[in-house]
Amino acid sequence: MERGLVVPAITVEHLSKSYGDTVAVRDVSFEVQKGEVFALLGPNGAGKTTTVEILEGFRNRTGGTVQTLGVDPSDHITQRWLRTRIGVVLQELAIEPYYSVRQVLSRNAGYYPNPRPIDEVIELIGLREKADERIKKLSGGQQRRLDVGLGIIGNPELLFLDEPTTGLDPAGRRDTWDLIKRLSSAGTTVLLTTHYMDEVEALAHRVAVLFGQEIVASGTPSSIGGRDLGAATIRFRLPEGVALGELPMTAEPGTDDHVVIHTEDELRVLHELTGWALDGGHALAGLSVLRESLEDVYLGLTRSDA
Amino acid sequence: MSAAVEVPEKGSFRGLSDLPLVARQVQYEQLSFWLNPIGALMTIAFSVVFLILLGATAGTSTVSSYGHIKLIDYYVAGFCGYGVMAACFTILAITLVNRREMGLLKRLRLSPLPTWMAMAAILVNAMIVAALGVILLLVVGRLGYSVHGPAHWLPFAVTLIVAMLCYSALGLGMSTLVPNADAAGPMVSLTFFILVALSGLWFPIAPGSGLATFADYFPIRHLINALVASFTGQPGTPLWPWRDLGVMAIWGVAGVIVGLRRWSWSPKRG
Repeated sequence: MERGLVVPAITVEHLSKSYGDTVAVRDVSFEVQKGEVFALLGPNGAGKTTTVEILEGFRNRTGGTVQTLGVDPSDHITQRWLRTRIGVVLQELAIEPYYSVRQVLSRNAGYYPNPRPIDEVIELIGLREKADERIKKLSGGQQRRLDVGLGIIGNPELLFLDEPTTGLDPAGRRDTWDLIKRLSSAGTTVLLTTHYMDEVEALAHRVAVLFGQEIVASGTPSSIGGRDLGAATIRFRLPEGVALGELPMTAEPGTDDHVVIHTEDELRVLHELTGWALDGGHALAGLSVLRESLEDVYLGLTRSDA
Repeated sequence: MSAAVEVPEKGSFRGLSDLPLVARQVQYEQLSFWLNPIGALMTIAFSVVFLILLGATAGTSTVSSYGHIKLIDYYVAGFCGYGVMAACFTILAITLVNRREMGLLKRLRLSPLPTWMAMAAILVNAMIVAALGVILLLVVGRLGYSVHGPAHWLPFAVTLIVAMLCYSALGLGMSTLVPNADAAGPMVSLTFFILVALSGLWFPIAPGSGLATFADYFPIRHLINALVASFTGQPGTPLWPWRDLGVMAIWGVAGVIVGLRRWSWSPKRG
């Protein structure tokens, strides 16, 4: 490969992986661009972790081509180079219990040619008060944050986050999201696997859904699975003194004194509705337009009978 | 979003300066070992406590099967072997299983630290612990029981080094046979105590007996024999115990083969 050629951070083409007769990943293709936060979604056993492990160079593939930061991650010649440029947060917590926070970060920093300053990482993961505490004395959430710290200590260009907020409390999750957003803003590419849809919506630029060992949908969180094109639900409180039948279009009673209108042409319906309200001097309290949530789309894509 | 990742020129990888990294990794292995003082104490103190207890009952007894050397001399040399086996086989095997099951080996594998450096640091750490145990036993033997040895320092030291390598290799192999962290302690300790029982350390085994013939297939009796010979310098025994060293080397190679064939960086959780 020639020097200076510009390539995506990750390129996966027709990737497959089998363990004997068991297929773990089948014909998976996607690209991740630099600075992008790319989320891989899928139920347990869909092949997310296998895909990520192949991209990290931890596992060899059975077929297809893969490039991570421009090199084949299974190539032993460039593997060490690659590992100085990637960061990994594993699905399960993996930290020695007897070191202090500072000691384990210092040890791992020594593996990289251009690590982040230890104190900067401690600050980023919010463990300044615990810097000299033994790891075994930290709470589960604090240990998980340290795990993230170990993932970024090498100042990686590409960060693999395998369910990074599992086990964190809501505040810890938000702090980790902020950290990921900051890393992304600074140009770090992030490949994220998660089960949390709000995490995908908050962080990911693009998302792919793995199901049955293959990708069944991909796109932005707001458009995946035709989410931006399907039917919308318009919801509002029925104005006082107005009967359901007096509305300018068909509506159904909903919960909490609200009525709902299902439509695939929400712009026209909203125009008619608001025109009617303005002409008649009616308030449309609680007016909102709802689309399918990402979770609805995800569950639709990953139903076993789908 | 535009693509913009610079691809390295092939061969531009120059690596890190490796040897200082190994030394640094050994320091952290040592730190990890001593930060768990109970574990460290149990590893080193066990053999010393056994020596003190058995030495107190040895009196002026001799070991007829070893040319009537003093029993306390036999114990000091023998427990040096016991200490090496405890550090290099038992602790190494249990440590590797625990690290594998905790995901630490996987994390290590995904770091830029080359595998050989990580493994070398773990091995050197075990050897340092074993060496400290041997020094402590020799000091206790000299100060507590007026045991002056070894008679032949070089064969004694070479035997210890071969033993460290052999039992580290066996520890590596053993770790791959243990399915999960819960099983590590019982499986490794049971193997260890069976081997020690076969070594004749607790009760010297008469050469030529059926038990001695059976025990000769295993490496620990050879370790004890080689250490006792170089420690006591008994007339009539060869200076270099080549046969004993050879048997240990064969077992060491077997341990490496098993370890490499069955090695896993991922948790087995069997």
